[in-house]
Amino acid sequence: MSTILEPRSRRLARFVRERFPLENLDPKHMIEKKEVPRHRMSWAYYMGGLALFFLLVQIVTGLLLLFYYQPTVSDAHASVETISEYVSGGAWIRNLHAWSSSAMIATVIVHLFTTFAMKAFAAPRELTWVSGVSLALIVFGFGFTGYLLPWNQIAVNATKVGLQSVEAVGQYLPGEMAHWPTFVRETIQGEPSVGQATLSRFFAIHVIVLPLLTIAALGVHLMQVQLHGMSRGVDALKVKTEKFFPFFVIKDLSVWGVAFFVVAVVAMCLPFDSFLPFPLLEPYNPLGSTPDGIKPEWYFFFVYYPLELLPYWAVIAASTLVLGALFLAPWIFARTTRRTLSALAIAAALYFVVMTVFGHAIYDALKGGPP
Amino acid sequence: MESQLLVFLLVGLPYMAVLGCIAGSIWRYRTSRFSYSALSSQFLEDKALILGSMPWHLGIFTVLAGHAVAFLIPRVWAGFVSNQTFLWTVEAIGLGASLLALVGLGTLLVRRLTNGRVQAVTTSIDIVVLGLLLAQVVLGILVAVQHSFGSVWATGTVAPYLWSLATLQPNPALVRDLPPLVQGHMALAWILILLVPFSRLVHIFSIPIGYLWRAPQIVVWANPRRFQGVEAVLIPARRYFLRGAAAVSVGGALLAAGTAGTFGRFFFGPRPSEKEQTKLDEQKLARLRQTQRQKELSVERSQKRYIRIAKVKELDAKKGRYFIDYEMRAALAFMGEDGLPLLISAKCTHLGCTVGSELDAAGRILCPCHVSYFDVKTGVPNQGAPAKDPLPHIAWVMMDEKGDVVASRGGDGRAHGTIDPAKAALCDVYIAKKEESSS
Repeated sequence: MSTILEPRSRRLARFVRERFPLENLDPKHMIEKKEVPRHRMSWAYYMGGLALFFLLVQIVTGLLLLFYYQPTVSDAHASVETISEYVSGGAWIRNLHAWSSSAMIATVIVHLFTTFAMKAFAAPRELTWVSGVSLALIVFGFGFTGYLLPWNQIAVNATKVGLQSVEAVGQYLPGEMAHWPTFVRETIQGEPSVGQATLSRFFAIHVIVLPLLTIAALGVHLMQVQLHGMSRGVDALKVKTEKFFPFFVIKDLSVWGVAFFVVAVVAMCLPFDSFLPFPLLEPYNPLGSTPDGIKPEWYFFFVYYPLELLPYWAVIAASTLVLGALFLAPWIFARTTRRTLSALAIAAALYFVVMTVFGHAIYDALKGGPP
Repeated sequence: MESQLLVFLLVGLPYMAVLGCIAGSIWRYRTSRFSYSALSSQFLEDKALILGSMPWHLGIFTVLAGHAVAFLIPRVWAGFVSNQTFLWTVEAIGLGASLLALVGLGTLLVRRLTNGRVQAVTTSIDIVVLGLLLAQVVLGILVAVQHSFGSVWATGTVAPYLWSLATLQPNPALVRDLPPLVQGHMALAWILILLVPFSRLVHIFSIPIGYLWRAPQIVVWANPRRFQGVEAVLIPARRYFLRGAAAVSVGGALLAAGTAGTFGRFFFGPRPSEKEQTKLDEQKLARLRQTQRQKELSVERSQKRYIRIAKVKELDAKKGRYFIDYEMRAALAFMGEDGLPLLISAKCTHLGCTVGSELDAAGRILCPCHVSYFDVKTGVPNQGAPAKDPLPHIAWVMMDEKGDVVASRGGDGRAHGTIDPAKAALCDVYIAKKEESSS
């Protein structure tokens, strides 16, 4: 009750103080005393670190690609080809960048689901959660902008379609506002249709803007984790723990090592392109017809197929709701049990997996052949 | 005579070995269940054991897994190994693993033959099995070296042969002409399978998988004399950490050293051969020309009142010609049923994809992105299509060689002017700037 009677300014000060217990910011607390709970869901504690690891791989391989990549409409595709075919070790670096990006997104999604199920967002960890959801969006932004950079037929057309769906919001807006989405889309593109300006700004967003945003959000995220320690993750009152240093650190690093090994070997043996139904190597041709069955990367399927199948407004409404609920989860689900949260997370994960794996089959079944 | 022996080795022996293995296993399990494993000698000697057993088991497990995959899913596998990088990787891993197995097996053999304590529990069948395994691994390595890329050729020979055995329709012809080295490797494999229930190899059937997640147990010599004068040693966590860190650094250093050549040259940059450079330059020129063409088109559209699309006789009723309209968007030119050109926008009214250029039987154009069919005559999409608005027709002007307007069609779709088919064929089709066509 006292919190309600407190003046607003003091309540804010208390909120900030509780979220930033800076007295915890010393090696003693962060290294010697830090403990990691051990229970059924302990494996989930590795996900955040793993995502961080893949991010590091992305930064290193991305920097290396930057040595040769040329972000112009006439040279982009050729420079990617040069990297793959003529630069020593270039194919591996590029493959690693592609595979590791997929791995990073997959890990981030698992991290999101598991932390939700474990109610890791409960007070005082709201800021960890909000910064985490922002990071997840940033990661999807990386995916969307990076996809365009090789400037091939599929990527350019997929980007066109993706941006055009922004414009489709216009039909639900009244009067003058109906033109705003078009304005937004052309602002993103930098010109009336996807072209050099789009490539330039997607490149800038991919290699400068989003990395800076990542550093900011990740800074908050990691600092919060350090200040508050690991969340308990289960309902049980007494939980066994193990020391963060050295035991958990060693295991964490082992997981990183295995992950690197797997991604490195996969990148060496299987070109990422081999998973796409069409060769990526065809450069974009502005005069040709749009190729059959253009699709975004697999991690957009969960929103892409609903967009194809359901009325546009329904998808937009649902996405807005889900996104809002995600950001506000610490307050919306403050009193929800972990049991319920797990059920929600499992349902969401099921939806994601079904849409990703069977999305195309569902689409074919519902849409059928030509009418 | 020789062929009879070969048939026995390729057909008789396999069935004998498998039946013997099954029958023998049942017999051993029923008569002496507690011996249904390998007799541990870890507390008799543990240093050489770890140096031998670990490499051996890691190596042979990898190699056997490779064999199993190629035999179980030969077609899928053949698809994988058709990728050269994958093939080389598999071959290198296989050879590396078999060398690892060889080293481990050698260590185990030396240990079993020279260590007094281990000798005390060694039976003759142990030696036989070790010797045969050694021979088998050496044969395998020889096969891999002499007749390389077994992962490819085995999918068409050994794999179908094994399937023919498994389906009780033995077809030895599949492997009859393989080199003797390979046939020897196969025969020895059957003999080893036969020996499984009668030797320590039986532990293959009693792999203690539970060890992976049970609490660690350390086998110790319980005799108190062993501990006389030795103080209990507490290994601090720090030492484990340092050891782990050292192992990671050494591994990292090895990795760096191994890949230094490749990644050093990454920064050195590509040095294509003259031929490759020419190819790259040509490619680059082509792309530059494409970019230049785009610019030219847009300049042309801002300056000219009319833009030529094609000769009338070049137009086809079924297959449209792509061109770029005044708004720099793709459009299509057909020959209409009335013998007049039919120009229609190719930018799908749904999400802006470029529609296909060929008409289907019903005279419709398909947008491949979200499957909308547009009637070419009206531009209207089919019922239930994602696109709601029709593709707009584009106004055109027909001019003869002298530049005189012969016929035209406005934005309203009505044609003006007279059309003489014979003369029309000589004319060119143009699109006109907006203010012109509306008149």
